[in-house]
Amino acid sequence: MKIGVLRFPGTNCDFDIYEMIKAKNHEPIWLWHQDQFQMTDIDQILVPGGFSYGDYLRCGALAAKSPVMKSTLEFAKKGKPILGICNGFQILCESGLLPGVLLRNKNLKFIDKWVSLKLENSNPYFYTQAHQSKIKLPVAHGEGRYYLPSEELKRVQDQGQIWFSYEEDINGSLNQIAGVMSAEKNVAALMPHPERALWEWMGGADGFSFLADRGSL
Amino acid sequence: MSDELKNKLKHYRLSQGEYEKMISLLGREPKSIEWPLFSALWSEHCSYKSSKIHLRKFSYRNTITRDDSDENAGLVDLGFGEKIIFKMESHNHPSFIEPFQGAATGVGGILRDIFTMGARPIALADYLCFGRTENNPRMKYLEQEVVRGISSYGNCVGVPTVTGFTEYDASYDNNILVNAMAVGLVTEGMPLASSKAHGIGNLVVYVGAKTGKDGVHGAAMASESFDENNEAKKPNIQIGDPFYEKLLIESCLEVLKEKLVVSMQDMGAAGLTSSSFEMAAKNQVGFDMHLDQVPRRDSTLTPEEILLSESQERMLLVCVPENLEKIKKSFEKWGLDASPIGKINDTKKMRLFWNGDLLTEIEPGLIVDSAPRYERPFTKYNSSKKISANDFDNQSRKLLENLAETVAIESTSQETEELLKNIIHKMKHNSSFSKKNWIYEQYDQRVGARTMKDASATLAILKLPSHRELALSVGCRPSVMRLDTELGSKDALLYPALQMAVKGFKPLAITDCLNFGNPEKLEVMTDFVTTVDNYAHLAQLIDAPVISGNVSFYNETQNKNITPTPAIGMVGLKENESPVPECHFHEEGLEVYHMYPHPDRSHVLSYHKMAEINHVKPFFCGDLNSEEWAQVVNTLKVFIEETKPQGARIVGAGGLAMTLEKMETSEIKFQPFSKIFNGKENLAYLFEERFYEFVFTVSKNQKENFEKSLKNYCEKNRFKFHLIGFTKK
Repeated sequence: MKIGVLRFPGTNCDFDIYEMIKAKNHEPIWLWHQDQFQMTDIDQILVPGGFSYGDYLRCGALAAKSPVMKSTLEFAKKGKPILGICNGFQILCESGLLPGVLLRNKNLKFIDKWVSLKLENSNPYFYTQAHQSKIKLPVAHGEGRYYLPSEELKRVQDQGQIWFSYEEDINGSLNQIAGVMSAEKNVAALMPHPERALWEWMGGADGFSFLADRGSL
Repeated sequence: MSDELKNKLKHYRLSQGEYEKMISLLGREPKSIEWPLFSALWSEHCSYKSSKIHLRKFSYRNTITRDDSDENAGLVDLGFGEKIIFKMESHNHPSFIEPFQGAATGVGGILRDIFTMGARPIALADYLCFGRTENNPRMKYLEQEVVRGISSYGNCVGVPTVTGFTEYDASYDNNILVNAMAVGLVTEGMPLASSKAHGIGNLVVYVGAKTGKDGVHGAAMASESFDENNEAKKPNIQIGDPFYEKLLIESCLEVLKEKLVVSMQDMGAAGLTSSSFEMAAKNQVGFDMHLDQVPRRDSTLTPEEILLSESQERMLLVCVPENLEKIKKSFEKWGLDASPIGKINDTKKMRLFWNGDLLTEIEPGLIVDSAPRYERPFTKYNSSKKISANDFDNQSRKLLENLAETVAIESTSQETEELLKNIIHKMKHNSSFSKKNWIYEQYDQRVGARTMKDASATLAILKLPSHRELALSVGCRPSVMRLDTELGSKDALLYPALQMAVKGFKPLAITDCLNFGNPEKLEVMTDFVTTVDNYAHLAQLIDAPVISGNVSFYNETQNKNITPTPAIGMVGLKENESPVPECHFHEEGLEVYHMYPHPDRSHVLSYHKMAEINHVKPFFCGDLNSEEWAQVVNTLKVFIEETKPQGARIVGAGGLAMTLEKMETSEIKFQPFSKIFNGKENLAYLFEERFYEFVFTVSKNQKENFEKSLKNYCEKNRFKFHLIGFTKK
């Protein structure tokens, strides 16, 4: 599978994502923020974490308006799968592909730690049901408090769009939400970093279950 | 001397003797633009004028370290196409005045020293010393803001902060220490960059952020003591932007990889002046530099301000003219400008121009290489807190009795345990022992996906592309330095080296950040020289050369000097893939062993941290023989490789009791055998701070073989050991 990796100025998990894709035996392809791309060349898109455009204005806000996101929006419209991680989650929310918004952590500080997550609803592209429903992944973010208005929350819940939730309240997220999906499930994102939990030596290997294995799609 | 001259010398922080030297070098009065040049380059910060004659003692190199004393940071060749480059630097003065920006730009500065040589930064560490935070809102603010500064910068540039050290003591009440260390990795195919300019006709190109007024005279400020007017120094503080730095990292590594540049240098202390003059002086070439072509964000900047500005995230590079367009394009891709501001001329002189007018023409070496060198007076160090073994026993008994009294428990065996708990409880709540999670949880410790062990472990470990493991540790325990400079400086190297050995790592090389008070004072200079001598000697003995570093003098406020604090950063390597022994009790049913020096080997018994916390004057007896302990660094590593214990840890401040307490987790506790912990006489066994002792844990089925090997090791290396208990849920 060819997986496009978006790169913005300030993206800093790009190489980690690149390595993860290779570890899963797929082919990573860089997609530069100023360029639009040919959709037929790419099977999936990953939006890595970092501080795109220095988090100026608001996390993910500038990235959401970049040329590469124009193609990405088209890509999503075609029903093709897109995964966002951390700042990638923020970018997908800002560009309207996912509901809600990510605010500053409740304690107003950056949080780096391992957290336990509960799988709320499975995702056919990035994390299938066959996997265990409780996992451990590291988080590293200053703006990870998920929020959306209550009427929207109800709709999102009813449509099974909550992907993961934290076992404990770490940042003040509404309903401890850690990851969400679009109504069609092809766009999905989470704040924790699966690419930092690929092997036991990293402190845990639950992240390896993310992304489909070669041949399973 | 005229008042005018007096004021000028004061403004430029130059002495009368230095003024006379300027005149004799130039053969005339300095021109007005030359004053700031001399001021910056002859500052303690840039010239190392009080320390240089001693730093030459760090000349030891082995086959894997390169003599890079004139480059930005030191290099270790790990083989398999992997090299690492690392350095530690202080940002004490700015951080005390403006903690957030001071700490942030400290991180930015040390990162630039690394990537300017062609290495990708892969890890950061911090070494922080604060004053007392109890009832001191200003210090609490400094502490919070320094951590936030490091966090905001390091996290954004995408370099994990994986380890650190934090200390609290009254000696830092008016002068905190903020030291940062960065480690970079050079992989196969990446050319190393040099900071030596060469090639007549080559262009001098400015890249990165535009120049502003921030940080003008920063280097000179960092070279003098604090007074009551610190607030007035706020304009000397630089403002950092980690986003810009991230762009610089990527773009600079790109042009280096494409071999488009001849040499590269970051603009750090004393900004454009030091970068350009040092690049030129290293190869005895001259630049024609047009200061009016320097990109500015403020049109009122004077040539002097342009020369001295310490605006952040700026680099200077030299390239052949044909490569300029390609370089511009590379930087443009990352949203940065590359502006030619001059070229290498054939006069071997620096010629500075302003709108076409020649401001000055001066040989770079004249300022850089002819900077003053001072042989500041020092004497032989006198260990004033050292006492005889007998006196030690008496004082130790008194201290422990007092302590027992303060927690008011009698000495029956049942109650000893209670007493113990109370003492530990008391120690645990001191800021020196309290958990530092709140600091490290603000740092991204995993970006880069190389982190094996983060700051929650005693040793940070990163996985290299070759699958070997790189350990990273910072050292120097100020409470031991306060006890004794001779002992403390040996400990500053031996403690982290043993921390590595006990995890199966070989210490490879060292960087230092020598924080001291005013070098014009005899006792400060004596501390400094004692430290340098011990570092030079031990570095050779453990075969871990001191390959880079920094000196920060004048950590003095209103005549009060800080604790001599020669921080170090150490890297180590493990070439096998056997598991690293744990720092904590990670499962139940493990046997717990304690190994400590046999009375007839060189060792030290002390109460330092323990004494300080209980408001008793620290004291110690014994000596550390450097040769003998360097030997232990080697043998212990081999012992760990052979016996593969489940857990291993060096005993730290607060003695065995505090270390066992630290090893406990929320699930797994330590269950002592009662005979060890019975009776008051065993309090000394539990709380004495011995140099050096260790704790090992092994599983039941390892026990027999381990104990045999341990016995053998102890006999050979003159240690003693006890099986002291086991772990339980």
